Amino acid sequence: MLAGKGFSKVYNLSGGIKAWGKEVAVGSEDVGLHLFSGVASSEEAIVTGFGLETGLREFYLSMQKQVSRATTRSLFSLLADIEILHQERLVKLYNAINGTTITVADFAEKIAGPAMEGGLSTEEYLQLYKTDLESELEVLGLALAIEAQALDLYVRAAERGGESRKVLLQIAEEERGHMARLSQYIDQQPDLA
Amino acid sequence: MKWMQFFTPVTSITWEEANKLAADKAEGDVVFLDVRQPKEYEGGHLPGAKLLPLGDLDKRLAELDAEKPIVVY
Repeated sequence: MLAGKGFSKVYNLSGGIKAWGKEVAVGSEDVGLHLFSGVASSEEAIVTGFGLETGLREFYLSMQKQVSRATTRSLFSLLADIEILHQERLVKLYNAINGTTITVADFAEKIAGPAMEGGLSTEEYLQLYKTDLESELEVLGLALAIEAQALDLYVRAAERGGESRKVLLQIAEEERGHMARLSQYIDQQPDLA
Repeated sequence: MKWMQFFTPVTSITWEEANKLAADKAEGDVVFLDVRQPKEYEGGHLPGAKLLPLGDLDKRLAELDAEKPIVVY
């Protein structure tokens, strides 16, 4: 998010504040603040966004099984369902731009699927950033970081203008709403660890 | 679902490197940015760190100096 706005000297503190406090690099909070690479066109933003929504949904569904609190599970379930609506809206936008009538399932299989090959699985991604799945606070923090990526993608894609601007900004606003909901939830759980 | 192609990882630095970065510059020339929630900040943060929760980040970027190194945690 920062790099996309002209901040060039941004560093992620490895291990987060835990590492600093103990003065050892334990790395347990290295959830990262990753940045999107540039997105070339509205169409590419739609494909990337669709992939991200798929990933977010998969992430929430998979984390739902990890967390112990019923309230956290229910929040993740709600957020996972909203990502389906975003996928539908993105495909509708894709059809409007290209004059096609492709379905969500076909879009996932024929367009978004091939574009998503070669990366990391959700499990590998979580491993890479050493997320402590026993810590609900860390899982919620990672969810916030991924939602921030989504927000950043949509805002930057919308800034390129064009007919997709309104829809992308609307989805961006909803991602901002997700972040607010996650933030409020963290603040409302005094014993979250 | 594959994730990697969505992200360009930010350079990670250790606390020692961050400490050296700050020591090599004048006071205030390296920004330590705490993007956690306020209650986490209150529970403990790096001395002088600026609190800017992730959820507010995109709307409050103007509060940051793009010329200065920023260490995010």
